[in-house]
Amino acid sequence: MEFQRVGKIFDPRDYPLLTELREYAQSPQAVVFDDRIRIFFTTRDRDGTGMFKSHPAYVDMTLDLQHVMRVSDKPLMKLGERGCFDEHGIFPISPVRVGKQIWAYTTGWTRRKAVATDSGIGLAVSDDGGETFIKYGQGPVLGPSLHEPFLVSDGFTLQHEGRFHMWYIYGKRWIRSDEDSPPDRVYKIAHAMSDDGRRWTPTGQTVITDWLNIDECQALPAVVRHDGSWLMVFCYRHATDFRINPARGYRLGCATSHDLVTWVRSDLTLTGKDELPGWDSEMQCYPHLVQVGERLYLLYNGNEFGRFGFGLAQLL
Amino acid sequence: MFKWKKLGLIFKPQEVKDRHWLKEFAQAPATLVFDDFVRVYFSCRPGPDKYGQYVSYTTYVDLERSDLTKIRAVAQEPILSLGGLGSFDEFGIYPFSVIRDGDVVRAYYGGWTRCESTPYTVAIGTAVSHDDGRTFHRIGPGPILSQSPSEAYVLSGPKIRRFNERWQLFYVAGIRWSVHAGRAESIYRLRMAESSDGLNWERTGVDLLDARLEADECQASPDVVFSGGRYHMFYCYKYGVDFRNSTRGYRIGYAYSDDLMRWSRHDELAGIDVSTEGWDSESIAYPHILELDGDTYMFYLGNQVGREGFGLARLEGTLV
Repeated sequence: MEFQRVGKIFDPRDYPLLTELREYAQSPQAVVFDDRIRIFFTTRDRDGTGMFKSHPAYVDMTLDLQHVMRVSDKPLMKLGERGCFDEHGIFPISPVRVGKQIWAYTTGWTRRKAVATDSGIGLAVSDDGGETFIKYGQGPVLGPSLHEPFLVSDGFTLQHEGRFHMWYIYGKRWIRSDEDSPPDRVYKIAHAMSDDGRRWTPTGQTVITDWLNIDECQALPAVVRHDGSWLMVFCYRHATDFRINPARGYRLGCATSHDLVTWVRSDLTLTGKDELPGWDSEMQCYPHLVQVGERLYLLYNGNEFGRFGFGLAQLL
Repeated sequence: MFKWKKLGLIFKPQEVKDRHWLKEFAQAPATLVFDDFVRVYFSCRPGPDKYGQYVSYTTYVDLERSDLTKIRAVAQEPILSLGGLGSFDEFGIYPFSVIRDGDVVRAYYGGWTRCESTPYTVAIGTAVSHDDGRTFHRIGPGPILSQSPSEAYVLSGPKIRRFNERWQLFYVAGIRWSVHAGRAESIYRLRMAESSDGLNWERTGVDLLDARLEADECQASPDVVFSGGRYHMFYCYKYGVDFRNSTRGYRIGYAYSDDLMRWSRHDELAGIDVSTEGWDSESIAYPHILELDGDTYMFYLGNQVGREGFGLARLEGTLV
């Protein structure tokens, strides 16, 4: 499947975000309004120890995704209390319309000792179009379970025929490339279902087959109805040496399904405007699909996991 | 008020030799009854690592059924390995509770890992034994009960029971962390979940008991038995912070219920308290009730939450 690059459309350095760092605009995910497209993303700050914490924000853009109208000027939600699953950051935030509300499935992060971190998927609800969110409880709606032991993240939901579906990822294992290296994680895309969007049951089925090797890491699934079937985009990479080695870093993938259960994986190629060194020349990650009228847009991050913003491509 | 006759310290880990992983502590006793002996599971620790940190293993001691003060044997190994890198139970398996289910023995346990902003967190795992409880293995690498919207903190101390053809899991749910003298302390209350298969759990989502001591009261080890037409629960409770001294540490409490949901707390009826001297003179904790051959026993921990082992008391009369 080919998407044509439009280019980078948002750079966090250009706008007065609430975080002091003003870098990182990760995992853009959109809600379409009559007069604008609100793109939620997360941006980073540093805490007292110099470590990153991610916070949700949004940017409103014109319906053609050409112009920025405004950015959020107050926090959408607070991070969790000491010991809560989202104490050390929320990344990403995935909005979905449910009735008149916007529900956001958040991924909350906590720092661990033996490994860097763990995560869970929370729910927060907005009654004001996504300006502010109230958390549904202090804990996650989907966390570790018997067969999905850690790193439950990246929840994306849609409603179909009266049920909620969620695609997300969970950690299979932590590995070490050598004894002195910090542990690296291996994670895969999974599927859960729910009657109410709050109580989720993992299906336990493999969603996307590995292409690289068994340690392939798959992240950030997003699904839309397209051309009579279901289209999923995601990103994938090698488990180790992926941060600065472009040959092993994130690339975009896609898959199609007729029943939301069985998925056929294929390539996703970005064409055109391939400036070198461009903003997405070394890495492409955290994709999201947004249908506006007849047009199917792809939002995604480029180099350095979205440190300097996100860009746009369009299905031809 | 119930009247318990203390039978003394039954098992002292310091007296066991040749097991490097069993240096001190014998915590959270839980029993499995056999024809002529009673297997008592407990959690123990090797010495601390170079950073002063502990891990916990669970193992067992077999006591003579005819005289529970007599030790028959101590297990040669921990009955379950610690979890792998990054797992919820990488640094400890404690407490541990068992129940027979046909030919197998099922266990429910607290799995411990270490965190940055809190010393640890805990989630509840399960394991199964096919050799009468000598060894256990996991049926999956993750927990069966972990943080949820209404239970966002530590989940630990499971006690497994079966009443009315259902499975009940009584456990401890954290409600916050309180920082005192630079140390984050978990504040926790008692909860229950129910299940039809022992694997998929419905949480009732409410505290079983109100706090009595203070808002930061901590409650643990909810051990429930059915006797004389009602449910009886023994548990322990303490102050939330600065509890490592004799006046703010664990005491054993008591409540009863007709329906497992609404509990009447009557600590004044528990009938067991600290001794004036000896191994249980500062605190008593982690009660476990065993009804055996017409008698009702309570296994429990003494000072420093079982650092020097567990003891036994026998009820004079019956639970009514």
